[in-house]
Amino acid sequence: MNWVTIIWAMTAAAALTLAGVHGFVWIRQKRQMASLMFCLMAASTAGMAGCELWMMNLAEMQSYAHALQWYNLMRWLVTLALVGFIHFYLGSGRTWLELTVCGLRTLSLLLNFIFSPMVYYSSIDELVSIPFLGTHVTIVEGIPSPLSIVGQLSLLMLAAYLVDATWRSSQRGDKPGALRVGLSAVFFVLALSIQMMFALWGIIDMPIIASLFFTGIIVVMGIELSEDMLRAARLADELRIRESELREERKLTDAIFESAPGMLYLQSATGKMVRWNSQHERVTGFSNSETSQMQAEDFCAEAEREILKEARSIALAKGGNEVEFDLARQDGQMARHFFRMVPVDIGGEPHLVGIGIDVTSQRALAAETERQREQMAHIARVASVSELSSSLAHEINQPLAIILSNAQAAQRLMAYEQPDLNELRDILEDIVTADIRAADVIKRLRSILRQGKPVLESISPPSLFDQALGMAQSDLKEAGVEVIRRHSKKLPTLQADRIPIEQVLLNLIKNACEAMQDNGSREKLLSLSCVNEGIWLRFSVRDNGHGLQGNNQDIFQAFHTTKPNGLGLGLTICQTIVRAHGGKLWCDRNKSHGATFHFQLPIVPENL
Amino acid sequence: MKQSETVFLIDDEPALLKALGRLLKAEGFTVQAFESALAFLNAPRHPGSGCIVLDQSMPEMSGMELQQRLMQEDSALAVIFITGNGDIPMSVRAIKAGAVDFLTKPVKDSELLAVIRMALKKSKEMLHSKTEFNEWKQRHAALSKREKEVLGYVAKGLPNKQIANELGVVEQTIKVHRGRVMSKMGVDSLAQLVIMAERLRLK
Repeated sequence: MNWVTIIWAMTAAAALTLAGVHGFVWIRQKRQMASLMFCLMAASTAGMAGCELWMMNLAEMQSYAHALQWYNLMRWLVTLALVGFIHFYLGSGRTWLELTVCGLRTLSLLLNFIFSPMVYYSSIDELVSIPFLGTHVTIVEGIPSPLSIVGQLSLLMLAAYLVDATWRSSQRGDKPGALRVGLSAVFFVLALSIQMMFALWGIIDMPIIASLFFTGIIVVMGIELSEDMLRAARLADELRIRESELREERKLTDAIFESAPGMLYLQSATGKMVRWNSQHERVTGFSNSETSQMQAEDFCAEAEREILKEARSIALAKGGNEVEFDLARQDGQMARHFFRMVPVDIGGEPHLVGIGIDVTSQRALAAETERQREQMAHIARVASVSELSSSLAHEINQPLAIILSNAQAAQRLMAYEQPDLNELRDILEDIVTADIRAADVIKRLRSILRQGKPVLESISPPSLFDQALGMAQSDLKEAGVEVIRRHSKKLPTLQADRIPIEQVLLNLIKNACEAMQDNGSREKLLSLSCVNEGIWLRFSVRDNGHGLQGNNQDIFQAFHTTKPNGLGLGLTICQTIVRAHGGKLWCDRNKSHGATFHFQLPIVPENL
Repeated sequence: MKQSETVFLIDDEPALLKALGRLLKAEGFTVQAFESALAFLNAPRHPGSGCIVLDQSMPEMSGMELQQRLMQEDSALAVIFITGNGDIPMSVRAIKAGAVDFLTKPVKDSELLAVIRMALKKSKEMLHSKTEFNEWKQRHAALSKREKEVLGYVAKGLPNKQIANELGVVEQTIKVHRGRVMSKMGVDSLAQLVIMAERLRLK
């Protein structure tokens, strides 16, 4: 064994090994055309090495020519594979350059076969044996053929192609090893080209050692490919980790979806159902496969679909929304649900994610509470009527007593021989006045007891004071209260249910009277005022009595009372009435004595 | 059937005051109307008998308060309450305090007039017994010390002999004292004397 045999055999073996490895890679991953090209290149480089070794050991002209033809075939293959590799690996070669290189190489090969035995030489003088690496190898001595320029040209074009492709790839910057691969290939190709030139033109005596240069190229490429593979493996690892993380994340979101107290859903901007939890299936009664074909509107009572659509567009536009509608179940039943929706971008498309909670029982509870409140209000009304009944009896009895006594006095006067007609006329007038007064009381009583929808009417605020003071007259008189009324002459009219508002005023006035019961020597002052506050009319009832005890808010609670015989409903009812009119009722402590109760009622423009 | 007794009407409701006044005047009563208890108290007081038709619920001073005041003054006026919304406890309290009746508005004329007559009669009696009582009181005050002592024992029902023993004098002296007491007090019999002593609470 000599060095030449060892080097060329090892070169061939190394090239073949690399070819095998990457051939295997290509078989496993058919998309990796770069691996296939590399495999082809490595294999044909091995072939070239074999041919070179063969030629170096030949002594006969005929066999040499034969070997040279095979050698050229290998060169052709190597060149095409190199172009192919750069094409697939860097992906930046110019097609016309590729075609030119391949074309020239093919032309060189064809010329080689046409001008047999050899394209390189126009005439071969002799085969000579020269010393090379400690042994004797065979080389050709002859006149180089001008056609061999095609082969050289193809090498230069290959170099140009490589430079161009490397430049463009490094500009793009997507392949980190592009510069290394490209420049090493350029280097080896140019080196080869020079060596070929020297060898062919007989400037130096040495055999063709192109396979070594190509081996250099494939080693650099092999390293790059391996690094690529390592990178890919690293990426795959990372991907696996990320994937498992994603799986965990998904598990978590799944768990969250399932653990939600109500329905959770994800839908597209148009309402297409994308994802939902098992609760959704349980509540709606629609199976998962049915749901996947459905729109969000399909779960909504028909009458409320427009509401849902509008809520959805608002949610998408404003970054979230809430909506409540009757959920239409598969069995045709309805269940009131509250939905929250939050926009989220998934895959570049706007979606809505949210929760749906059954609020049937809450709504039923609220309705029940409302019903109870109304019932209580009614009871309270009756109770307050019974509280009022004694004073009402007084109110009615008073005119009745006046009528009776007057009438009976008249009867007596009529019995006289000459009755005093003027006195009789006066009596009749008094009877009429008292009768009207009694009728008023009864009318008022009837309207207090009346139940039903409030009837709004236009009311001038001072008339409310007139009526309330009229009703409270006996209390005020009995308690010896001085009443001060303050309000501007020009007050807007109110749209309100007269009787309840009068009730409120009456109640506040009566409370004020009771609060001033123990004033002793302090004069009992009740001031009533009505102020226009723009959109509100504020009524105030101010006393200088004992004032408020405890929390200002407590007094509005039902059954809170400071009176020995009180039910503690008066202010609660007042508040209910004022709220029903869209207003509010509150109280202040006066700086000196007593308290002031205010209530506001909205002023509604009359043309509304 | 004309009558001369005065009926006082007190009610804070002017229309009712007027109506009741008409009725009573037509019946021949002398009527004085007041719109409040204080107005009545401030007016010059009638010394004789009479009755007050009084509204229970009035500002400043209620009917009940006025009744208390009159009792303190030992007035002989009889009180009739009229009320728009009286309850039983209130009427019981009023009657116990000496009211003649407790009427509820509206009041029928016959009922009212009957009660007023009764009240006037009662007032007259009250005035009479008051006068008599005052006379007795004066006569009793005119007795000597020893005579008062003797009257006390007589009223307790002790016989003359025993009284003489108690006072350490002879029976005859007691007899003389007793005769003088009876003539001074203006009574004819022992029974009358005992009743009078009872009224004067001498026992």
